[in-house]
Amino acid sequence: MEKALEIKPKAIKSPSGFSIIWRELVRDKLALISLILLILIIAFVYGVSLVLDQEEIVKVDLFSIHEAPSEEFILGTDHGGRDVFGQLIIGTKNSLSIAIIVTVLTGIVGIVFGLVAGYFGGHVDNVLMRILDFFNILPFTMIVIAFVAVVPKYSVMTFSLIMTAFLWMGIARLIRSKALQEKELDYIQAAKTLGTSNIKIIFKHLLPNCMSLIIVTMTINLAANIGLESGLSFLGFGFPESTPSLGTLLSYARNPQTLEFRWWIWVPASLLILILMLAINNVGSALRRATDARQRRG
Amino acid sequence: MWKFSLRRIMIMIPQLIVLSIFIFVLAKMMPGDALSGQIDPNIDPERIEEIRVQMGWYDPWHEQYASWIGGVVTGDFGDSFRFKMPVTEIISQRIVNSFWLSLVTLILTYLIAIPLGITSGRYNDTLRDQLIQGYSYLGFATPLFIFALVMLWVFGFKLGWFPTSGSVTPGLEPGTFDYFMSKFYHLLLPALSMALIATYNTILYLRNEIVDTKQKDFVLTAKAKGASETRIYNQHILRNSLLPIAAFFGYEITLLIGGSIFIENIFGYPGMGQLLVESVTLRDYSVVTATTLLFGAASVLGALLSDIILSIVDPRIRIK
Amino acid sequence: MGFLEVKDLKVHFPIKGGIFGRTVDHVKAVDGVSFTLEKGKTYGLVGESGSGKSTTGRAIIGLNKITSGNVTFEGNDITANNRSRASFRKDIQMIFQDPYSSLNPKKRVIDLVAEPLRNFEKLSRKEERIRVQELLELVGLSPESILKYPHEFSGGQRQRIGIARAVALKPKLIIADEPVSALDVSVQAQVLNFMQEIQNELDLTYLFISHDLGVIKHMCDHIGIMYKGRFVEEGTANEIFESPQHIYTKRLVAAIPEIDPHKREELKKFRLEVNTEYEQAYNDYFDEEGLAYGLKPISDTHLVALPEKG
Repeated sequence: MEKALEIKPKAIKSPSGFSIIWRELVRDKLALISLILLILIIAFVYGVSLVLDQEEIVKVDLFSIHEAPSEEFILGTDHGGRDVFGQLIIGTKNSLSIAIIVTVLTGIVGIVFGLVAGYFGGHVDNVLMRILDFFNILPFTMIVIAFVAVVPKYSVMTFSLIMTAFLWMGIARLIRSKALQEKELDYIQAAKTLGTSNIKIIFKHLLPNCMSLIIVTMTINLAANIGLESGLSFLGFGFPESTPSLGTLLSYARNPQTLEFRWWIWVPASLLILILMLAINNVGSALRRATDARQRRG
Repeated sequence: MWKFSLRRIMIMIPQLIVLSIFIFVLAKMMPGDALSGQIDPNIDPERIEEIRVQMGWYDPWHEQYASWIGGVVTGDFGDSFRFKMPVTEIISQRIVNSFWLSLVTLILTYLIAIPLGITSGRYNDTLRDQLIQGYSYLGFATPLFIFALVMLWVFGFKLGWFPTSGSVTPGLEPGTFDYFMSKFYHLLLPALSMALIATYNTILYLRNEIVDTKQKDFVLTAKAKGASETRIYNQHILRNSLLPIAAFFGYEITLLIGGSIFIENIFGYPGMGQLLVESVTLRDYSVVTATTLLFGAASVLGALLSDIILSIVDPRIRIK
Repeated sequence: MGFLEVKDLKVHFPIKGGIFGRTVDHVKAVDGVSFTLEKGKTYGLVGESGSGKSTTGRAIIGLNKITSGNVTFEGNDITANNRSRASFRKDIQMIFQDPYSSLNPKKRVIDLVAEPLRNFEKLSRKEERIRVQELLELVGLSPESILKYPHEFSGGQRQRIGIARAVALKPKLIIADEPVSALDVSVQAQVLNFMQEIQNELDLTYLFISHDLGVIKHMCDHIGIMYKGRFVEEGTANEIFESPQHIYTKRLVAAIPEIDPHKREELKKFRLEVNTEYEQAYNDYFDEEGLAYGLKPISDTHLVALPEKG
């Protein structure tokens, strides 16, 4: 009998959950356009910034301060005579990179926190939720500003860590309520009776079942994080000035003269932030609809 | 209800304590101390040490914390080194400005959001609904500071309809009608900018709530009995949906604080948010500590207020 | 020494309340249950929903915390949820009621069935695959379906996957918690017969939990009737069905539908009689709180919950 089985019968492989979501996403026109646009922007920005010399762009050139767009400078120059277009490219790259880093970090913290709270429930959940509530109440902008004031060696890494420290609660809360629902289902109980350890149950059973929620939330978080980073940079509490971001360009508009008369410095960056956030949100909402529809079909 | 409120307050007390410890630690981590701004740099370093010992710089942290929190409770936040005056005095001017800005923002938010939310829910899946949803989606996706910049650019500079900075025209006598109107005029554009962006939650909540309620049996029964559409909305649907909205304003405080930091800086409006940013930039740490603590406490209290009001309005949450 | 002995098992759930969320009361889901299970036999736990029959099963396997009492398996105390229990984990397995929620929807069949193997046995990928295919064949599913997802199977097929997974470690005792109540009636018989087949083939002992006396009659050698967390009657299948002593058992037995149309009238009369008796004699059989009394033996195997002087 064993011999007969060794001649492997053709196993029929069924499409996985992800390919179904993908199919739904592609069917949604607006989301598809947004996705293509996003891919183009990302490819362009990361591609061009390979060629661009960041040192060269952030170097102050006193002979070409506040020049209007011309053939030499497509988008003119800023108060340091620096090429706005170059800063825009590098700024977008930096903003996107940090938004991705923060999204991933908050994702990891939030998912683990939410899964543990939801899975164990009871006292563990109570204590963890009190902690979460506390973090949740603190006004994000204020606390980050206060932290930035304190941190001595301020770098991109510390910046993303500070942002992460005060942004993980949203996803943690969502994952927790999902985990609370899921863990009552028999497959979790079954795994316990089969001798599967808690850690394995959390990461091999609960986590895959929260995946669609995680993907949707992280996509929408990515958009929000682009906004938050540029907002903080706008106030002067984001990236150091040597590392331009989209927010840095916008912060020049805090000078009324620049705001009123030199649109080329801040309007393109504003538009780019808007486009990025809208496009990512479109993809996110399409993903949400796709995963919902899947649940409806059962 | 009393039970819930009491329990909720019991949760809040440790929150406030943790918040104050948190901010105390932050303050301790800030470079320099209360002396660094006040003292003549030529003074003998040994003398500075002496003063530091006198002031309790080397005491165990819990004693320092106790004396600090003791000061805070009695309204003593120390002195600002930049303004050379008590922090409490600086803040009390700013806090009034921020309060008015927040109040007008809240009122505008509800004035815009409630009619739109009701329309959107009542006529769901019509063109009107789609337009409103499109607007609130844009509001959700647009960062406040970009929108505020554009508003300032268009209505402040290009059209010149509104003042572009300050909270009142200089030279007006406080208490007069002109003074009051000037104040209102100055905060209208900032408040409107924030309100237009902040409507998202309320519109969406109202719409979903109304769409849900519409299908409930009691509404269908009222319809079957021949009650008019308007009557159904006024008597049945709105009463259920509007009350929770009124309660959410406590949570909005956290959002308002975040927003006011941007808005006040963009519109040059002298409130707490602007003060915080200025003081951080100038390393005026006693002011930073005080503003952070007040903002934090305001959020904690706001959440408390909303939770309690919600528990009265909507008994479902009391179970939690 | 029995194969599985349950002594005075109690499972109480706390009710939280008050300002500080203290425990203000308990729900006595299982309140002093004792029974013995012999190797190779099937023991049926019957009762209405909320009677504590499922909780009993779940407490034995460790899914619910035992408040007090003892569970002995092959002479070893497995009450405490500790390491000594872990070594018996393999030997006691469970089949769940709902074949839809008991299989992780995101896993393929091979991962589902191999899960216990991966926890307890170190097998190479190939060995594992062969074992899974054997198991699928054993439960009557095609071995080609190992890469499918649960939602591609019918309820009966899913329950077979659940059974394949439960027997993968060659357990000695299987706790079957309403294994067929979520299935269509036509499929129920198939699954039940199949469970009896593998019982003989693999020398299994069943603790069979059900609210359906018909199913219990078909499957079980010994039966315990539960009501509000306590036993009202215990005995062999014959004793329970032929000479029920407790009024609650009588009512349950009387409620079994009769297929033979000639006997229908007779049964209807009998039912009415039992019902009248139930209403009249209720206070003789239950205490002031409506709970059953302690069990009294009326023969070697037959125990009934009767008041002291009854």
